Amino acid sequence: MQALSDFLLTLPIGDFVATHDWVWPFCETLHFVGMCTLLGTVGVVDLRILGVGKGIPIHLLEKFVPLGVIAFIVNATTGFIFIAGNPVGGPMEYLSNLSLQIKMIIVLIAGINLVIFYVTGIEKKVAGVPPDGNAPGSAKAVAAVSIFAWIMVIIMGRFIMYNDTLLYALGL
Amino acid sequence: MIDAIENSAYAVWVRESPSIFAYTTILSLHAIGLAIIVGIHTLIALRLLGFVPGIPLQPLRKLFPWMYLGFTINLFSGTSLLMANLSNDLGNWLFLCKLGFIALAMINLELTRIYVFDKPAAAGATAATTALPKHSGTFAIAALVLWSLAMVAGRFTAYPNFVEAWLGF
Repeated sequence: MQALSDFLLTLPIGDFVATHDWVWPFCETLHFVGMCTLLGTVGVVDLRILGVGKGIPIHLLEKFVPLGVIAFIVNATTGFIFIAGNPVGGPMEYLSNLSLQIKMIIVLIAGINLVIFYVTGIEKKVAGVPPDGNAPGSAKAVAAVSIFAWIMVIIMGRFIMYNDTLLYALGL
Repeated sequence: MIDAIENSAYAVWVRESPSIFAYTTILSLHAIGLAIIVGIHTLIALRLLGFVPGIPLQPLRKLFPWMYLGFTINLFSGTSLLMANLSNDLGNWLFLCKLGFIALAMINLELTRIYVFDKPAAAGATAATTALPKHSGTFAIAALVLWSLAMVAGRFTAYPNFVEAWLGF
């Protein structure tokens, strides 16, 4: 972790953030826009798979998923800027933050979940579901994990700044 | 009056309790509600702008209760956060702008529901088709612009001194 922090400090991101006061709030705003876009695309596909909005063809709704991927890239990039360019406590303040660590693990789980959806043939089954039809149970399981994971990512993301309350609740 | 609200037991609990369910959870709920309503409205707006035209409009109407759920979550969480920080927030013009943009975005949401989904014939189209009723694009652009402005103003509520310096106040 210290090695990663040292590496991030060699990047010019910290200087840029420190000398341009608009960068931080601008990236924060983008991070929120990305969050909404990700939930509005991937999250709505999940909802439809779970049975909400019958009549919407799932395979057409899936065409919005690439937009969700773009939103994820925006948020990975802005998130990287927050960690590498943290003007006050440096990268280590975030890297050692339990809320952020949990958030990153859940992002990883959400990513693996998405790979499972596309690689194991579940996506093919889902694409064949008629507009009014029910998605198979395997797809519903993946969708439920996806929604739960992204909601938890939002919660743990908000907890980063208030990590003390998490530590307090855990008795740490 | 403002002091009384800010010093009420609930406002003090939200602001000062070390409990995980106080400020931190309420703030998290606010982000979740935001993602639900703005996320879904963005998807609907993109459809109304002509993206993925194969998706029939009427089933998208079923997503509106979910947007109202998001709004309800944020009305509750937002009111709680406001009570905890009332005098500061009311004195912050960016926060007041945010409220204004949200009000306009919600009016636009209701107009979209009424004229695009519930009474599409009134706007010159027939129901249950993939054809876009009149003014769909205008409602969609308004949604994207107003929610963006609400989020920008909301985020910059934390940095009023930056904005005032940029604007030369």
